[in-house]
Amino acid sequence: MDNVTLQISSGSIGLLGPNGAGKTTFMKCLLQLLPITSGSARLLGREVGREGREIRKRVGYAPELNCHIPGMAGCEYVTYCAQLSGLPFQAARQRAHEMLDFVGLGQERYRKVDTYSTGLKQRVKLAQAIVHDPELVFLDEPTNGLDPKGQAQILELVRGLWRTYGITVVLSSHLLHDVERVCDQIIIIARGRVLVHDSLENLKARKRGAAEVVLARGHGELQAACEQRNWLCQMLPNGHLRIEHQADSLNPLLHVLHDLKLPPLEIIPSPNALEETFVQALEISHAAA
Amino acid sequence: MPLHDTHYQHWDGAHVGIWARRWVIARNGLAAALQNKAMRNVIALSWLAGLAMAALLFLVGQLLVADSMVVKWVAQLNPGLQSFARMLTSWLQDHPEISVGTTQNLLFYLFCVYATPLSIFALGMAMPALITRDLASNAMVIYASKAVTRGDYLLGKFCVAFGLLTLTWLGPVCGAWLVGNLLAPDWRFFWHARVALAHALLYVLSSMVILSALALGVSAVSSREKSTPALWFMWWVLGGVIQPIALQTKPWLRHLSFTYDLKQIGLASFRLGNDLKTAQDNIPIFGEMLRNIRPETMFALDHPMLGGALAGLALMLLLAGWVVVERVSPE
Repeated sequence: MDNVTLQISSGSIGLLGPNGAGKTTFMKCLLQLLPITSGSARLLGREVGREGREIRKRVGYAPELNCHIPGMAGCEYVTYCAQLSGLPFQAARQRAHEMLDFVGLGQERYRKVDTYSTGLKQRVKLAQAIVHDPELVFLDEPTNGLDPKGQAQILELVRGLWRTYGITVVLSSHLLHDVERVCDQIIIIARGRVLVHDSLENLKARKRGAAEVVLARGHGELQAACEQRNWLCQMLPNGHLRIEHQADSLNPLLHVLHDLKLPPLEIIPSPNALEETFVQALEISHAAA
Repeated sequence: MPLHDTHYQHWDGAHVGIWARRWVIARNGLAAALQNKAMRNVIALSWLAGLAMAALLFLVGQLLVADSMVVKWVAQLNPGLQSFARMLTSWLQDHPEISVGTTQNLLFYLFCVYATPLSIFALGMAMPALITRDLASNAMVIYASKAVTRGDYLLGKFCVAFGLLTLTWLGPVCGAWLVGNLLAPDWRFFWHARVALAHALLYVLSSMVILSALALGVSAVSSREKSTPALWFMWWVLGGVIQPIALQTKPWLRHLSFTYDLKQIGLASFRLGNDLKTAQDNIPIFGEMLRNIRPETMFALDHPMLGGALAGLALMLLLAGWVVVERVSPE
């Protein structure tokens, strides 16, 4: 991580960035799985590094890598994790079964975790992360290795954690779609730096007033009309016209096309800030590679 | 199965303390180690040895009672021996500190020392259940993300090794002492055998702490389940092999064997030299027999290499600690 300063309120937070951006490192630093070499962090009002045990009692973590306690059946494993978080045995066992029901693990819970498929492992990881009823849960790439149906189910569960049950979720993913679907706050990271931190609503609403117009004819007329209005108009190599109309909506551009009687074949609005920043993060990552 | 057939429910009960969480780690590790049938057999063998020791103490106790079963049996074998047995019995009754205390001290030394390999063997078998398997399955990340620290984890795992040694070593020793003296003809046996028990506890408990810590270090060396037991047994055997060779060449090399070092601690704990001298000076006939012990053996019993043993063990413990610190982390 490089010079990161963030203040994150409760909610459902998406940590978005390409592979190797620093998402996992960020989470591990907060959980004290990695040492913080400089700076400081507070989690749930407590100083990370000084009150680690107390913090982790109120925090859940589902790691990206396959990790489990060897030789245990699913229900034993989740019970054990609950006990490690401080639940007494009876409560731990009851909650383990409730959480395994919640994540949709049936009779497989009586099989050893070592024999689970990727999908079952992801579910049991989620169950162990929430079994002690944390206030905050970190989920690192929870949909990795799942088929589309499994992905949708897990994302639905994760979405419900904040929206229905009030558990703050930090979801790390390199998939824009996953984060968009679940989170209401977005943090985009690239090369250990935070590029943007804003609400999903704001990021989606924030668009540059630009669009690509595909025409069958009349390119010159449209370019001339744009120049009259001081709009930057550029012919792209693919034959499209890129017009920076500097408005929040496409209406001014549509009016011009209507006045010129030029029916567009297609109008492609500029991407919103979320997509644009994510693409920027990808480019930074590729450039560094 | 639909995912949302059960809703999430919040939990607002009271959390258990940190010692309960450490105990959970220890209990789970112990249960994992006891899943091995061979381990259960070793424990059963240890308790059988304890039972044999109790039987021996019972027989020794019977020797101290006039007209006891043993004396009668001796008389049946050879009537001439009966008067000798009665003479010995009456003498032993007059000197209970020697007859009970010294005898039990010697017997417990032999029992504790000869039971050591069984415990070392048990630890070797339990090696994967200590740290090795957790390293293989990335379980360290899970532990580190829960409300326990690395220290809590290591303490829990230390208790696993210590618990196993309690089952194979401390339990049989204490059990033999208790049963042996319960079956003795006089309640005063408990009093006279107290020093033997104290010596045994000093030796066994200190050895258990040392062996448990060394076992943790070895189990953290590798994440392969076959490697760490192999390393443990190799270290044990190699230590035994270099002892006689080192005696001829470089005697300090013997301290690289933890069994040799533990034996020195045993000699220092039980103070056998004092007991032998007492026996030589006070016990008729048997005392004369004990005078045949070679002077160098007597010197070795009187002057165990405690300094070297402690230095050797400290070095091994430092090495084990370094391995654990390096290897036991979530990354």
